Amino acid sequence: MQETKILIIDDEEVVLDSCKLVLEPAGFKIATASNGIAGLGMVREFGPDLIFVDLKMPGISGFEVLERLRAMDPNQVAIVITGYATVSSAVDAMKKGAYDFLPKPFTPDELRLITKRGLEKHRLVQEAIALRREKEMLRENFAAILSHELKSPLSALQQHLFGLAADLEDKMTEEQKARTERMKGRLDDLLKLIHNWLRVFTVDVNKIKEQFQPVAVPTVITKAVENVLPHATRKNIELVSTVGDSLPMLSGDAVSLTEVIGNILNNAVKYSKPQTTVRLAAEAAAGEVVISVADGGVGIAKEDLPFIFGDFYRGKGAAQMESGCGLGLAISRRIVEAHGGSVAVESEPGKGSKFTIRLPAKT
Amino acid sequence: MSEQKQLLIIDDDPDFAEGIKSILVKAKYKVDMAHNPKDGWAALEKNKYDLLLLDVMMGRGAEGIMIARKLGKDAKFRELPVLIITSIREQMAFLFPGGAVHPNFVDVDELIEKPVEPKLLLDKVSALIKSSEAKKKK
Repeated sequence: MQETKILIIDDEEVVLDSCKLVLEPAGFKIATASNGIAGLGMVREFGPDLIFVDLKMPGISGFEVLERLRAMDPNQVAIVITGYATVSSAVDAMKKGAYDFLPKPFTPDELRLITKRGLEKHRLVQEAIALRREKEMLRENFAAILSHELKSPLSALQQHLFGLAADLEDKMTEEQKARTERMKGRLDDLLKLIHNWLRVFTVDVNKIKEQFQPVAVPTVITKAVENVLPHATRKNIELVSTVGDSLPMLSGDAVSLTEVIGNILNNAVKYSKPQTTVRLAAEAAAGEVVISVADGGVGIAKEDLPFIFGDFYRGKGAAQMESGCGLGLAISRRIVEAHGGSVAVESEPGKGSKFTIRLPAKT
Repeated sequence: MSEQKQLLIIDDDPDFAEGIKSILVKAKYKVDMAHNPKDGWAALEKNKYDLLLLDVMMGRGAEGIMIARKLGKDAKFRELPVLIITSIREQMAFLFPGGAVHPNFVDVDELIEKPVEPKLLLDKVSALIKSSEAKKKK
């Protein structure tokens, strides 16, 4: 087992010696320093689990030592040693981050007891750090695990279904083909659902900021429209996009922005009645690019508006009309906000909705 | 028509690899499979392939990316077209633990997402082989 290390910073030799005398036989490794500067200098090399600091010392005071300790490592556990007359300053020290105080003079038992408590605190702090780290790791690895363990079997299943359907193309009846298509459809929904969960729970959209590059709005719009077009055509909905000339460039992540516009267009199509039109417009405004998507769909009730950008929100008419998991807008909002932009909605039930995305132009 | 084209699939999911293989075999390709990066690399060293189909997430992370990088550095394999087949979407890839695995970091020829429609797969495979042959003729 690793030995437990204690650093004692005090200008009185008798204190240092007596602490050593009490603690060394208990199996602790002790280091001592006779002033603040020397003590601080030893912290990094010695790596103490617990530090005792005298408050009143020549040179820098115990308070200053505490402050510098905190700057070095806020998780370091320190206990102040103080004369009886200065208990009030010990309280100040605790406000500054000391874990406890030990009034002078103290008995060996008092020292042993407070050392035990201090080390216990140190252990708890370290455990909390380890747990926090583990939690972060878990969150990060969650994406990889989920992707591999859940998506892989589904992908294999779908892949064989694709293969079988192609093999049996000329042998299956129309009814059998339709059933195969249904299976493919359901599998596809499941894969998309897992994908969306991954996005919401594991992706720190702020990380995309590290990869920002110049983005041309028309390119992003064209791509998003292309992705949504099959859905729109199936529902016999017309997509009209008006992209202004000489739009400023954005600084961002093209893939994520395509996803945002795709999501919002897809929603517009999803909640529209057949034979209506979805209009997308992009124009430059003061230092911004404003992209709006308007539909003549079912609209959103006023009382629902505050919730539509939350996780798992689904439009009331949605269940009957279309499938989905209610994460698209939540993801979109996060992505837009990571770009320093905003997304807003106006809607009138029965008449349609208009989503407006504002993104700052590249400076 | 030229001789039968030989392809290699490196994917640690045997079921998925079989699914892909059946489609390719039906389209008259000769197909080998390897289910881990090590066997995959050994197969690459031993035989001459016209195309590699490569999975990204294998073993302890994005080991497929390692293979793609290794291939790019090796003069012997620089000509080999690589089709990445992945279950992670492009926009997710760079967020994985273990460093940057965004497809942009690796010079691969094409990237498609699992599962893949048979027609799309066959189109990509034949297009990649054609363009690689055209390059060789020059």
